[in-house]
Amino acid sequence: MVRRAFLLFSCLWLFSGCGKSEPVIKIGFVAPLSGDQAAHGEDLRRGAELAIEQAQARGPIIPGFSVVLVPVDDARNPAQAVSGAKRLAADPHVLAVVGHLNSSCTKPASAIYHEARLLQISPVSSNPEISRQGFDTFYRICPTDDLQGPAAARFAIQRLGARRIFVLDDMTTYGRGLANEFVRAAKASGAEILGHEGITQGEKDFTPVLTKIKGLDPDLIYFAGMFPEAALLVQQKLKLGLRAKFLGGDGLFEQALITLATPAAAEGIYLTTLGGDIRQLPTAKLFIEAFEKKYGPLGAYSSYGYEATNLALEAIRRAGKKSRSAVLSAMREIKEYPGILGTHIFDSRGDTMIRTIGVYTVHDGQFQFVEASN
Amino acid sequence: MSAGDLFLQQVLNGLTLGFVYALIALGYTMVYGIIQLINFAHGEVFMVGAYAGLTVLLMIGGQGSAAGLVAALGAAAVVCLLLGLAIERVAYRPLRSAPKLSALISAIGVSFILQNAVMLVYGAQDRYVPAALPASGWKFGAVTVTPMQAVIFGVSIALMVGLQALVYGTRLGRNMRATAQDPLAARLMGISVERVIASTFAIGSALAGIGGVLFGTYYSTINFHDGYLTGLKAFTAAVLGGIGNVPGALLGGVLLGLLEGLAAGYLSAQWKNVVAFAVLVLVLLLRPRGLLGERVAERA
Amino acid sequence: MRKRTSLAFGLILLLSFFDPDPYRSEIYATAALYALLALGLNVIVGFAGLLHLGYAALFAVGAYTYALLNLRLGWPFWLGLPASGAAAALAGVLLGLPAIRVRGDYLAIVTLGFGEIIRVVVTNLEGWTGGPNGLMGIDHPSVGPVHFGVDSKPYYALLMVLIAFTAAACSRLKHSRVGLAWAAVRENELAASCLGMNARQLKLLALGIGGWVAGLAGCVFAAKQGTITPDSFDFIVSVMVLAMVILGGLGSVPGVILGAVVLSVVPELLREFTQYRMLLLGLIMLLLMRWRPQGLLGPASALFRRVREPAA
Repeated sequence: MVRRAFLLFSCLWLFSGCGKSEPVIKIGFVAPLSGDQAAHGEDLRRGAELAIEQAQARGPIIPGFSVVLVPVDDARNPAQAVSGAKRLAADPHVLAVVGHLNSSCTKPASAIYHEARLLQISPVSSNPEISRQGFDTFYRICPTDDLQGPAAARFAIQRLGARRIFVLDDMTTYGRGLANEFVRAAKASGAEILGHEGITQGEKDFTPVLTKIKGLDPDLIYFAGMFPEAALLVQQKLKLGLRAKFLGGDGLFEQALITLATPAAAEGIYLTTLGGDIRQLPTAKLFIEAFEKKYGPLGAYSSYGYEATNLALEAIRRAGKKSRSAVLSAMREIKEYPGILGTHIFDSRGDTMIRTIGVYTVHDGQFQFVEASN
Repeated sequence: MSAGDLFLQQVLNGLTLGFVYALIALGYTMVYGIIQLINFAHGEVFMVGAYAGLTVLLMIGGQGSAAGLVAALGAAAVVCLLLGLAIERVAYRPLRSAPKLSALISAIGVSFILQNAVMLVYGAQDRYVPAALPASGWKFGAVTVTPMQAVIFGVSIALMVGLQALVYGTRLGRNMRATAQDPLAARLMGISVERVIASTFAIGSALAGIGGVLFGTYYSTINFHDGYLTGLKAFTAAVLGGIGNVPGALLGGVLLGLLEGLAAGYLSAQWKNVVAFAVLVLVLLLRPRGLLGERVAERA
Repeated sequence: MRKRTSLAFGLILLLSFFDPDPYRSEIYATAALYALLALGLNVIVGFAGLLHLGYAALFAVGAYTYALLNLRLGWPFWLGLPASGAAAALAGVLLGLPAIRVRGDYLAIVTLGFGEIIRVVVTNLEGWTGGPNGLMGIDHPSVGPVHFGVDSKPYYALLMVLIAFTAAACSRLKHSRVGLAWAAVRENELAASCLGMNARQLKLLALGIGGWVAGLAGCVFAAKQGTITPDSFDFIVSVMVLAMVILGGLGSVPGVILGAVVLSVVPELLREFTQYRMLLLGLIMLLLMRWRPQGLLGPASALFRRVREPAA
């Protein structure tokens, strides 16, 4: 009885795949859409969706083909990122991928896209090593951490007057990389690094390490990691009466940080971001209007999702045909791309030459722009 | 902050966590004492308690308050008590005469169901728990004790004293001890073994639920994954203290919390979990009866 | 009837090889990987009756062994395969040595504890294992001129070969003197010892064999993915494989393969419902234990016979 059921099932399965192919072009989108960093992934996705929607309204991107976004969830988990990448790579309708979000996911996935000759545009993965692997399929529209780290160090030492700093990171590709860049730059500027330790993502109780830090009495704590852990750190720091200033990276740039930490605890913390204040950019005005009309308040990463997707669409449009290699060549041909974040010029590694790093603070439960550097 | 103060603060942090472990450990230890089964779903009960408390706190307006905390504790206790009864009925009672493997698998199944159910209802992201009490605490030298920590100590100790009183001073307690010693004889003496087992699950689960609320308000964020790891550590605490032994659960919990806190503070936060698991493995291998447990005869 | 079913199965298998859809080939490859793991765990849990909740750790040992040998020493896949098997077998035995001294449910917890310890150690030893970000750039295998690459089909074929050998070996073992000895120890260790069987050695043998298979699977996994991270080897993987073994029928070689296929394919079918995956898995386990504890193809093993409560 079991055997028969299995036989029937297998036959159905095997023959169900005989379908026709439709005239559709897919753009893959991968980010954490579930789990603790889902808020970030959602931000990104909305930007991407808006771009696709606007493109669809303009008509077929290549004569005869409609374009569609295929969201895939990697739950900020590198293993899942690899599986998702393989899935997208295996689908012949996918001509480009926007993603991933976390550098620890983007890096292994980039190898898969490279093998599959599939264009990958990363919106916000800032670890410099990803573009140093020599993959001609990889492009990125944000500055890298070898810029963000030193900019943070500069801000900490010159603006915040920090001399004694304790560094924490979340041991991910992104966090560890950014922290190392910060430490290097801070030391070169004469600050004293009291310690550099790692915490694990998903961990809850940081009171032991914070107590240890309290004993060392630093001016500043620098945290290279993501907002869920940052929220807990900031909150537990307050409870312990640890008075050092707090500076983080772009991974903190999410409203959920303030909600989870409580506005009181988050008050006065600083963070660097991969770009300046988007509201000050005339090129972004139309986007902001359209986005806020559809989705409400702008998220931290929405503009990047939009920008990356539009860039992918442009490459496909220029390619003129449904072929991954044509899309890659077309992408290579793009010398200048005037986007909402500025005009992107890509260097030989695929990184953009837009190098603005912003600084924000939290005040009264909201992010406030402080300054930007190029 | 002097090294001594630092040490005291680390000890305090560890103790707080330890008391939470102890509350959960009680459930494990009681159930194991009666039916010689590790209730794999117990960690999830703790997690459900935390979410129940969150729901209550949100229902009364999202602002924390002492009254809110009490309401949350009460609600969690009731919800988890019922949940414990349900788990016993559904996952354990039908398999009473089946081998341990079946019950274990059944419990793991329940654990998965609960985790997923909570995820579906409350979302996969961390949820913020409104602080019930003011964050600033009392200073003893350079060491800070927050009101929440004081509440955790107070509530845990009160509950454990209450449990001891129950186990040694009431009829139900006597029945529980009898069933733990010899179920057949207990039955022959007229004790409803089914009732005793159900009560054990109920009480243990209620305690875990309270632990969950305390944990949630102390750390201010909860996630549906919290049950697994914390549950495992609480089980370690129960085993460390001597499974089946109520004061053992307290001792085990406190010791484990201290070990973990000190390891995180002095070694590295990264190796914290290894300490907990290493303790578990070592105790099971070298002294399975734990610190306060009695030597249990090998069943053939 | 037997022959016809086998023929039918063979036909289906053949067809699956020629399925052009790359997405589905990936599913077949994943199912095959899990089937191999299930076969290995079956030796430990089904044959020897040892409840092991840390099998993912042995899988990890296999994967990291090949990854490190390949990345640091340049070993090719075909050398890495036996090396991974051996390493995992050794790990299985070493971890088992202390563990088998304790009984039943404690054994389960000890193996769980070991599994978690290994995972945390791997996550933290960044210098060796790449830490939480894992290891990248692992070589794919090649057979003569054929390089395996990104396509799932060659891995599927390789796994089928491994499964065929492993399944045959397991069936042989089951009915051999060793298999009968395992059964004796499983049913009543005291009596078996009294009859002169060395329970300890038999258990360690099972752990070694189970480890060996996990090692092979780990090596193939690492080679296929090209990147491995500690996340791929956490507790849920151990539980999934255990569930497959139980679903299929403890001790039944074709059964556990079936169990693996079912539990790999069903979540894929329900991909819209990924959110409900754990819920369904939990329900399956619960219902299975309640109504068909012997699994889909398992014999009415004594392990699940309703036994009356023993007299105190």
